[in-house]
Amino acid sequence: MTRRESNRRIRMLGALVMAGVGLMALRALWVGGVRADALSTQARNQQERTFAVPAERGIIEDRSGMQLASDKPTATVSATPYLVTDPADTAAALARVLKVPAKDIESKLRDGGGYAVIAKGVEQDVAKAIRDEELTGIDVEDTWTRYLPQGRLAAQVVGLVGDEGGQGGVEAALDTELTGTPGVREISRDPLGHTLRTLHQKEPVRGTTVRLSLDSATQLQVERILAETRKRFGAKSASAVVMRPQDGAILAMASVPRFNPNDRTRYVPELVRNRPSQDIYEPGSTFKIVAIAGAIEDGKVTPATRFNVPETITLFDRPLRDSHNEGATTWSVGDILERSSNKGTVLIAQRLGAEAGKAYLPGTPDSDRRLSEWITRFGFGSKTGIDVPGEESGRIPDIDKYPEEWSGTSILNIPIGQGVLVTELQTARAYAAIANGGRLVTPHVVAKVGGRKVEHPAGRRVISWKTSRKMDAMLRKAVSAEGTGSAAEVPGYDVAGKTGTANKIDPKTGKYSQTRYVASFVGYVPAGNPQLLIAVTVDEPQQQSIFGGDVAAPAFSRIAQFSLLRMEIPPA
Amino acid sequence: MGERVRSALLSLDWILILAVGLLLVFSVHVIDAATVNDVPGSPNFFTDRQVLFTIGAVIGGIMLAAFDITRLQGMSWVLLGGLLGALAVVFVLGTTVKGANAWIDVGPFNLQPSEMGKVVMILVLSALAVERMAEITARRTTLFLVAVAAAPAAVVFLQPDLGTALVYGAILTAVLFLAGAPWTHFATAAAVVVGALVLVLGILPASGVHVLQDYQVERLTAFVNGDRDSGKAGYQLDQSKTAIGSGGAVGKGPEEATQTINDFLPEHHTDFIFAVIAEMYGFAGAAGVLLLFGIILWRILRLTARAATQFEQIVAGAIGAMIMFQLFQNVGMNVGIMPITGIPLPFVSYGGSHTVTNVAAIGILLSIHRRRAGL
Repeated sequence: MTRRESNRRIRMLGALVMAGVGLMALRALWVGGVRADALSTQARNQQERTFAVPAERGIIEDRSGMQLASDKPTATVSATPYLVTDPADTAAALARVLKVPAKDIESKLRDGGGYAVIAKGVEQDVAKAIRDEELTGIDVEDTWTRYLPQGRLAAQVVGLVGDEGGQGGVEAALDTELTGTPGVREISRDPLGHTLRTLHQKEPVRGTTVRLSLDSATQLQVERILAETRKRFGAKSASAVVMRPQDGAILAMASVPRFNPNDRTRYVPELVRNRPSQDIYEPGSTFKIVAIAGAIEDGKVTPATRFNVPETITLFDRPLRDSHNEGATTWSVGDILERSSNKGTVLIAQRLGAEAGKAYLPGTPDSDRRLSEWITRFGFGSKTGIDVPGEESGRIPDIDKYPEEWSGTSILNIPIGQGVLVTELQTARAYAAIANGGRLVTPHVVAKVGGRKVEHPAGRRVISWKTSRKMDAMLRKAVSAEGTGSAAEVPGYDVAGKTGTANKIDPKTGKYSQTRYVASFVGYVPAGNPQLLIAVTVDEPQQQSIFGGDVAAPAFSRIAQFSLLRMEIPPA
Repeated sequence: MGERVRSALLSLDWILILAVGLLLVFSVHVIDAATVNDVPGSPNFFTDRQVLFTIGAVIGGIMLAAFDITRLQGMSWVLLGGLLGALAVVFVLGTTVKGANAWIDVGPFNLQPSEMGKVVMILVLSALAVERMAEITARRTTLFLVAVAAAPAAVVFLQPDLGTALVYGAILTAVLFLAGAPWTHFATAAAVVVGALVLVLGILPASGVHVLQDYQVERLTAFVNGDRDSGKAGYQLDQSKTAIGSGGAVGKGPEEATQTINDFLPEHHTDFIFAVIAEMYGFAGAAGVLLLFGIILWRILRLTARAATQFEQIVAGAIGAMIMFQLFQNVGMNVGIMPITGIPLPFVSYGGSHTVTNVAAIGILLSIHRRRAGL
């Protein structure tokens, strides 16, 4: 090769060097300059993560600070399936610690994708064991799980918490207040998703504490008595309310059978209902106070007004008799309520008429129209406004909107609590109005939110103080030895109250069943200075007795006895 | 005596030495910063070793610079036999690192004969080419040199170490080119290579014969489709570009180079160290490194034109071609315009054997330069 050719080839190599280095530099400038922003973002996206740090939910406590619902620290175990290199081994390791079948976990890991929840509500020691395994592609995140330390106690009132917040009960009613403010954590991570360090953290803020008016000891006792009553009479369910008649503050509100709120795998919607505000039924005799109090308030009768009660009342060929029917007799209004006479109550209701100076439109008798007004006035057919969600308003035939629902013989059944649907809480509130001198209060369970007292409306007046005293005197006699509610007596205390025994409609026939009843008792103690309003309802007692005086009245007596001691209320 | 030292020092190419020295020092710094988290409890593991490698390499380079390399001209067959022997020993007894059976355990370190083989091949092929200079344009001369290079290259390819085998190919091409093989031979060779590629990557796999390992095919083709998450090689390329891009103009600094120190970028101290430099020191750092390589290659080609003998001329040019090929291949892979073949960046990537080899090549250049200066 000539020297010239040799130098030519070396120069060509030089050109190649310049071209190559130049190309590399241009490409580096393109990647590191033009595409810098996009690639920087890409780097941040894969290296940093922003997490919400779950906030602890506010505590729900009873009137003296006993915790009814609180959060306990748990962990959520999740997987990034595409990072899991050995699904079988990883699943086996997780299954060993979590004590679940490895198969289920493995199928989640094999499904691939970027995120799969393996287990929720994992206890802290288990979470630590999983962390110690240092499994690639498996994350353990600290969070909170709602826990009811008292278990079943008042669970229907407290309610449950799901992924979307409170579900039912106070948890749902005050979800906004109870929900805390989540914190934020920015971390840097390695390619396998392990946290390297925290770049920025904002601490979460716990939700507001909610204090209820419930008293845990009373609640527990009420639940026990209801459970025993239900068992003894073979009933389907039972419920009770213990309320302060002056302001509607509820000390106990119970539904049995109960459920375990800490075991979400066995969720039965039927058992989660707060029966006193959510179950509707025909009240029967406890409803009689509406017509009687109305007639007294309207000046149509006095407790002493005497009625000639025939053996049978017949209206449009429809006969009406009492359950323990007697022949033609003369009874006072007080006798009628004491003996819970259906015929007598209807006679009183028929005395009702338009208020002085007011005229009803023609069509239905004035007595029926006036009775309808009294029912509405006592709060039936509308919600009580209790701060537990899901309340039912019951069903009252509307005489103005649907006159056909209010037939010519309605006056035979509506005054005695048939053909109307009410909640136990509505009945309790109506009796509270008699106990407190005539005001219709708003039942409630929330006393304080974040340490601040919650104001509840004082309640509108439905009857005068004088009428309430007259009713009080008569209701006391209903619990006397001659009355239907004698089993409700509390040693050393005066009790006022009323029994109820209502036939249920057979859903198959649409007619009144002769085997299904609702037995109830509503009353208050001490009668002279009412401090506690107690309602007990037993659904479908099947053995021994079906009468309110036999089934519900004894439960009332026991609940009253305990509550009076617990609240340190002396006899009046 | 003083006079001799003075003339010896004056006969050195100080620009070349300075450029290589800067790269070697910068390399230790970048490896130190990049590997802080790699060996738990021992943040200086790779740094300490690289310092030792560099010192050893420099000593070896000085020795070669003092040595008259033309004395090796007649020992081609001995050198080739030695290389093949070492490669054979590795092939049978060697240690497998990252899938390639290419290392011999020597105490605490592994020796990679295929790396040393690069310099050996340069000397052997250059000497044999010079011997046959009279018939350098003959086809049989070219075929003879191809055959000589093919034996060690085939062993290296089977280790399997495709990258180093390709370097052998580059060396062979450079020797033929500088010795004066005719253009028609290169054209024929290019056609053969293209045909072989089509055969190996396309036709043979389709008919069920796999010459390359799956990972090798993937690495060779990942830069073409450039999809994210297209397997391991696609991931490496993606992370490399992300590192360079997030470095921007002046970089994030060694402590904030999170792509590197948090291990998103794999092989950050070896194959992808160029991306590490770009992440830490931005385009400025990357351009600086390219500039130093430009200076080194300029000095080498300048020396090639001025070498005392034809043997030395071909050796110098082939060394330049070797460094150039490794530079383009490595940086090209880092920036995503070359296939991923595990070739280290000369003087910069972590590793004992290749550092020793590349610095030895510089030592040989200095020896050639010294003799030129003596003329």
